Amino acid sequence: MHYTSAQNLSEQFKNGEVSAQEIVSFHLKRIANHDPKIQAFLSLCSERVKEKARLLDLKRKSGAQLGKLAGIPIALKDNIHLKGEITTCGSKFLENYRAVFDATVSQLMEEEDALIIGKTNCDEFAMGSSTEKSAFFPTKNPWDLNASPGGSSGGSAAAVAAGFSPLSLGSDTGGSIRQPAAFCGIVGFKPTYGRVSRSGLVAFASSLDQIGPFARSVSDAALLMEVIARHTDDDATNLSIPQEKYREELKNFSPRGLKVGIPWRFLEGLSVEARKNFEEAIRELKSAGLELVDIDLEILNLSIAVYYILATAEASTNLARFDGVRYGTRASGFKNLEELYDLSRQQGFGPEVKNRILLGTYVLSSGYKDAYYRKAQQVRTLIIKKFHEVFALCDYVAMPTSPTTAFELGSLQDPLQMYLQDIYTISANLAGLPAISVPSGFSSDKKPFGLQLLSPSCKDSSLLSLAHLYESHTQWHKQIPPFAAEAL
Amino acid sequence: MIQEWQPVIGLEIHAQLNTRSKLFSRAPNRFGDEPNTNITSVCTGQPGTLPILNREAVKKAVQLGCALNSHIARKSRFDRKSYFYPDNPRNFQITQFEEPIIVGGEVVVELDGELKKFSIDHAHIEDDTGMLKHFSNFAGIDYNRAGTALIEIVSTACMHSAREASSYAMALREILLYLDISDCNMEEGSLRIDVNVSVRRKQETALRPKIEIKNMNSFHHMELAINAEIARQIRIYEQEGDIQVGTYRFDIEKKETILMRKKEKPADYRYFPEPDLPPILLTDAFIEEIRNNLPELPAARYKRYVEVLGLSRDAAVQLVSDKPTSDYFEETLKNSSNAKSLCNWLLVEFSGRVKQNNTTLLKLEIPPHHVATLVNLIDSGTITGKIAKSVADEMVQNPQKDPAHIVQENPDFRPIDTASIEPLVDAVLAENSESVRDYLAGKGRAFDFLVGQVMKRCKGKASPELVNQLLRSKIDSQGLG
Repeated sequence: MHYTSAQNLSEQFKNGEVSAQEIVSFHLKRIANHDPKIQAFLSLCSERVKEKARLLDLKRKSGAQLGKLAGIPIALKDNIHLKGEITTCGSKFLENYRAVFDATVSQLMEEEDALIIGKTNCDEFAMGSSTEKSAFFPTKNPWDLNASPGGSSGGSAAAVAAGFSPLSLGSDTGGSIRQPAAFCGIVGFKPTYGRVSRSGLVAFASSLDQIGPFARSVSDAALLMEVIARHTDDDATNLSIPQEKYREELKNFSPRGLKVGIPWRFLEGLSVEARKNFEEAIRELKSAGLELVDIDLEILNLSIAVYYILATAEASTNLARFDGVRYGTRASGFKNLEELYDLSRQQGFGPEVKNRILLGTYVLSSGYKDAYYRKAQQVRTLIIKKFHEVFALCDYVAMPTSPTTAFELGSLQDPLQMYLQDIYTISANLAGLPAISVPSGFSSDKKPFGLQLLSPSCKDSSLLSLAHLYESHTQWHKQIPPFAAEAL
Repeated sequence: MIQEWQPVIGLEIHAQLNTRSKLFSRAPNRFGDEPNTNITSVCTGQPGTLPILNREAVKKAVQLGCALNSHIARKSRFDRKSYFYPDNPRNFQITQFEEPIIVGGEVVVELDGELKKFSIDHAHIEDDTGMLKHFSNFAGIDYNRAGTALIEIVSTACMHSAREASSYAMALREILLYLDISDCNMEEGSLRIDVNVSVRRKQETALRPKIEIKNMNSFHHMELAINAEIARQIRIYEQEGDIQVGTYRFDIEKKETILMRKKEKPADYRYFPEPDLPPILLTDAFIEEIRNNLPELPAARYKRYVEVLGLSRDAAVQLVSDKPTSDYFEETLKNSSNAKSLCNWLLVEFSGRVKQNNTTLLKLEIPPHHVATLVNLIDSGTITGKIAKSVADEMVQNPQKDPAHIVQENPDFRPIDTASIEPLVDAVLAENSESVRDYLAGKGRAFDFLVGQVMKRCKGKASPELVNQLLRSKIDSQGLG
């Protein structure tokens, strides 16, 4: 059962081959047996999900219409609210914070009879690329238990790769879905900015954050998109565009006449092995019928600098609410209001979060705002314009998801080295574009590579279709980590 | 000496918009409830919450902009203003710093018979904070107010006396009330005024450092505070001193402004565009629709009262500056066209009567058409002015009772017809033949005496016109006979 696709599992449930309660108890047992090695989960919603499963079995027996996600266990990154459950954001600050409302995505999934099974580990407040910055413990990569699963949504990626749930949700601010998907050999999709409501996602950088699915196939990711990518009235940046028929379009997709742009010059720094993998991937695209064109995206060399100004500026204000007054960590022994603030934040936040708050505060300060924040906004506008130009020449852009495969835990100590992890993923967030990572093979030491594909804004369905075409040509997504061979 | 100095004053007026829900959440916008009952997860800044802009607040802001003849920005947007304080649930306020919705505009005020124009710099929308409540050994926070929509109206530094400042503020308050976009209750804090004051030598063109006075709870106090501050600044400059720049409050007992906090360097609020809210984009059609449907504003109403209805300037001012009473007056006008008389009954007769009873006309809830009926009863000659006053007494006692019924039920109020007055007139003429002769000899006062005698006998129930008419015709016919 643990490597059955989400759609097959749901079909089996709907046909009565397996009950929701059996599905839940199997997955909980599997998590109990194997998650101590991976540590993908921060908490499980065992009682809640068992009850949901019991009710779902009754619903099925009653003959009522079953939802699109009926019987599918889904894991949530722990910065997405599930009412009544703890949302830590991987931070000590919110160690005991119970969500007071459902994230829109949680609500939408449960309306379609999903079985939300647990909350997954992440870098603190989604700030990181390795899940090592979680205040609790690092998550391990199912392909190599000494390696990072990537981050910040490392727990959600590892959970799907390890067969703990066929689907999970992550959030992507600068690559936090795509890079862990690549590291863990699965599919990770960041939709167009505004496709999915952010209500109930604890904000890191509001203009960049986007919730998206992890899956073991593009088709399963498309299924989840059909449920969560909807216009709602609870996020003012949520786009008012019609829902797409993602899975139907996968089937009807024809690559004839479509072009994929490759920013060769921007990719000059790639290591030999990563370059080789990427070249193989685009050869596959070509043989699948796509035309390849060389495009200029050298401006993306500025994307990390721009990102670390804009994202930290937004984060410094988004995280200002964590002050010990209303909820979360409140330091003891403060003598006045200033100390309440200082000590609570000192004790509640980890070093990476503090770094970013300081950086963000600095770039917005008077005297520096013009040189940093405003300048970065201008470059962001240029990047958006550049993508417009590029998409006049081609229909998609292909890049590696990450410059490397999963690195050893603890090996990236220099923050700048860690920030460079995101060089290929950040631009999609800056420009608000949809981008997907699909498995594209393995390194000599048996760690997965990911191919990243981008498309123009709002062409999410078309992008998933191309990824699906690539996936069906290569079949890399069917590989299973050796650790996960046994079922229970 | 004092003549050499010119005060320079600008006002920042915060008005809470009377929207049904808050600016960025569905929580009700209501004053005076139990603490922390009118809140949602947005109002307490829970993680994961997002602001959703209240369209009603935007509409009300545009109404104000139209009323002030301002430029309405087709595109405006919100910024985050960062500062830590427990009443500020996100530790940033959502305001419009760089691109406000209203730019420019003016408030025209008649001051000492002269029209004065005070100019607006801009007005912007922002959300209010919660309220800190201090107890003996701890403080509590009430977030009921947190997130209430505010409009901050910033004038230019265009005022030069306390009276100018208060007349501008009062005129603006009236506009807000006539638009029905704010309750403007200074005691409840739905209208809050910060005053910026500096003085300079008359020939100077540059401005000297200004101070800010906060938390004024009435226009009267505001005038006292400004005058005290002007005097203080002049005193300091005359003694070669420096003004301590900062925020002051007005001590009503001591009648002086007191420094609350110094401003050594300007606070750094680290403004930047609010990423959770797209810009507010307004179409010309939307703005024109609002402009074309603006209610009558106080200046227009004043003009109509004086020029069309013929009310005195004083009466017009008195009515217009009290919108509820003015609206009541408008209602009475629907059933009577005698505006002057209606105005007199409202401002003099009824207002005197309700004052004695320690209430107000509006609280009594006498239906406006009853007041119109009363005036119509007089105008038709059904009752006399004297009886009308007694009827009014009873209307105050029984606010729901129709004056027509009051008159009908009380025989003393019942109108006297010609048939019943005639014998009285005959008797008076018979008993006062001397006065009749005097009248015929051309002594007008003799006629007045005769009228008085008849009125006495009918206890004032006959209309003076009727008595006049009867007397004249009887004397004339006697004379002929």
